[in-house]
Amino acid sequence: MQKRTFVTGLAGVITLALGGVAPAFAADYPSQPITIIVPSKAGGSTDTTARIFAETAEAKYPGFEFVIDNIGGSGGQKGFETIARAKPDGYTIGMDFTPQLVAHIVSKRGKYTLDSFHVMGNVAEDPGIVAVPKDSKIKTMADLAAAAKGGDLTVAVNGIGSDDFLAAKTFEKEAGVTFNLLPTNGSTEQKAAILGGHVDASFMNLSQMIAQHKAGDAHIIAILTDKRAASAEDIPTAKEEGFNVTMTATRGFVAPAGIDPAIQSKLDDMLAAVMADPEFQKKCAASKIDLLPMSGPDYTRYLENLETSVKAVYDAAPW
Amino acid sequence: MEYLSEVFTLPAILTIVLGTFAGVVVGGMPGLTATMAVGLLVPFTYTMDPTLGLMLLGGIYCGAMYGGSIPAILLNTPGTPAAVATALEGYPMARRGEGSVALKTSVIASFMGGTFSIVILLMFAPLLARQALEFGPAETFLLALLGLAGIVSIVDENTSLLKALLSGFLGMIIAVVGTDNMSGGLRYTFGLTDLIDGINFMPALIGLFSMLQMLELAGQREHAPIDTSAINGSQKRAKLPKGLGKYMALGSGTGTVIGILPGEGATIAAFISYNFAKQISKAKHMFGKGNPEGVAAAEAGNNGCVGGSLVPTLTLGIPGNSVAAALMGAFIIHGMIPGPELFTVHADRTYPFILSMFVANFTFLIIGLAFAPYLARIALIPPSVMVPIVSAFAVLGCYALNSSVFDIYLMIAFATFGLLLKKLGYSLEGLILGLILGPIAENGFSQGMIIGRGSPTIFFHSEIAKVMWVIIIALLVPPLLSIARKWRASLRAS
Repeated sequence: MQKRTFVTGLAGVITLALGGVAPAFAADYPSQPITIIVPSKAGGSTDTTARIFAETAEAKYPGFEFVIDNIGGSGGQKGFETIARAKPDGYTIGMDFTPQLVAHIVSKRGKYTLDSFHVMGNVAEDPGIVAVPKDSKIKTMADLAAAAKGGDLTVAVNGIGSDDFLAAKTFEKEAGVTFNLLPTNGSTEQKAAILGGHVDASFMNLSQMIAQHKAGDAHIIAILTDKRAASAEDIPTAKEEGFNVTMTATRGFVAPAGIDPAIQSKLDDMLAAVMADPEFQKKCAASKIDLLPMSGPDYTRYLENLETSVKAVYDAAPW
Repeated sequence: MEYLSEVFTLPAILTIVLGTFAGVVVGGMPGLTATMAVGLLVPFTYTMDPTLGLMLLGGIYCGAMYGGSIPAILLNTPGTPAAVATALEGYPMARRGEGSVALKTSVIASFMGGTFSIVILLMFAPLLARQALEFGPAETFLLALLGLAGIVSIVDENTSLLKALLSGFLGMIIAVVGTDNMSGGLRYTFGLTDLIDGINFMPALIGLFSMLQMLELAGQREHAPIDTSAINGSQKRAKLPKGLGKYMALGSGTGTVIGILPGEGATIAAFISYNFAKQISKAKHMFGKGNPEGVAAAEAGNNGCVGGSLVPTLTLGIPGNSVAAALMGAFIIHGMIPGPELFTVHADRTYPFILSMFVANFTFLIIGLAFAPYLARIALIPPSVMVPIVSAFAVLGCYALNSSVFDIYLMIAFATFGLLLKKLGYSLEGLILGLILGPIAENGFSQGMIIGRGSPTIFFHSEIAKVMWVIIIALLVPPLLSIARKWRASLRAS
């Protein structure tokens, strides 16, 4: 008996040492729970998205089990690196969010490139917006450009290299102005700065300011997407106003590159099926998650384009 | 009044008690935080009755803020950073055999601070939130300065002014590690991804408090026995020292005000309350050696933040701190968007939620008072058993926080470094103040200078700023005068 335990144990050790040679055959996949690496702390919006996905997928696909592993901090870099490094056996996938995923590549800090991943597809987005204090004279993007030309406006963004920062930089270029940029420690500081009238404007995300906009405590002058948002039809896009500034924070799924194609296509199909599931859509709506379905190839192209545009901003003024 | 009847139903009371109890446990375990607990439970409340769901989360928030003080007092291990000031006085009390008194002081002060802040939330929320908006980055810098003024009052017969200041600077220098928020550049991260966000507070605090304490205990040849008779006998009925009410009131007020400021947390509230108490106390020399006045002020201060932090959260949607931010998610999930509507359209849920937190405070008061004499016995465990168990928990707690092995090394490094500093007569309190307040001061200063377009006049401009300068000077002058007096006396003597 004892000997047998020893042999089993030994086999286990060898398997581990050889990097789990036991091949993950597509036929009996999955034979163990699949880990979803969430590169942010538990409880946030990316985390909620992953948990709703896992819940729906488990209900839809018997035999599939998911474990959420939160690896937060460092703007997702640690989590993205963990996904890129994970063994490509189909038992580790992860979530990504932009522009951080590509910003870490551009700033040469992340130990990965886009080629380290198989991009499964996008799930959700949080559109960029421009907000001003409620009694501000600035009512449109044209006003913003004019005011910025006249004197320097103090404009709050979430840290350097964030989506807000990139959007503000793009607008500066587009309108030929320079802001007095105020980096903050996140949306709470931005909200307080706008509501308290400490800054002239703030580039941020729709979910962060929509409540204040509706309550009349602040005013959103533009949304930085191609089309108006269904949840806020009254807010014009920057494009409508003649400024080609688009920025949205996407949240999708990626897997380490090199997974057996048969297994990978199972996972990709599952993501597409879950995205189309009415129950999933209902739960996301309740959690104020705006869905933006993008297939793997589409999302790959999106990420590549984003990398190019972030690189342009970075090369002009590295951080 | 009809809202009150909604709180006093069996399911509601059970939910609140359950939430509060869970909160006390979460707060008491280093490595588990209220933010984490509330954040993870928010999706679950989706399927619950909205009012009950909010009550559960409110209970966790209230319970966790108090729970952090239990291991701080008994094991010198603050369950949350907000309980650090409590550990400074509570643990020496426990070593003296007065653990039960310290625990009771802490629970009563927590109850007072929590209840006071909820009364304020209930009555003045919209009005106060507007006022709080006046508080900008420049004022945040002054608030951090106000906290840092506490470094000067550390000076006593063991710690010179120079050593106190040096410890404070050292703390601030350590806090410089990480991403520079203003430029996005990395400072002293040595290519380590783990350092991009800077030194994690919790591992540093666990190292400087619990692990260091265990190292010291392990290093003692003979252990001074704790006065067990005190714990076994009369302590069960131990009366609280007289005159603590003043300190609890001071902490409650300070904590509530700081809680209302968007983004300022319970840790800074506890430290500032603690320093205020030290200034007005007649037993100044007892601070740092187990003064219940310090426990009373600090615990009333951090619990005062609970109601305070919900003022901007509920009225403006600006979370007062990270737990309030997670709680805000629960309101949103049920379609209750923070703002004036919470108090009109959704009043039937908002008011029962606020009222339920009175019950939560009452629940932990009863839990705390009932268990204090039994919990106090933990301090009786002999060091040979205590040291390995607490050390194991220290390692586990550090790891659990971010599933990061790096944090364990960080904790051990801080314990070793802290022990060295302590042996050399430097003050760890100064180090911690610098570590926690340094980044807040830096951020406020840099942002103030950007908004002021490079002119420092912004730090003297607003009415609030002027008042804060007066308080800072009032906090600095008496200790500096007494240091100068002592210095002159020693000159004359030599």
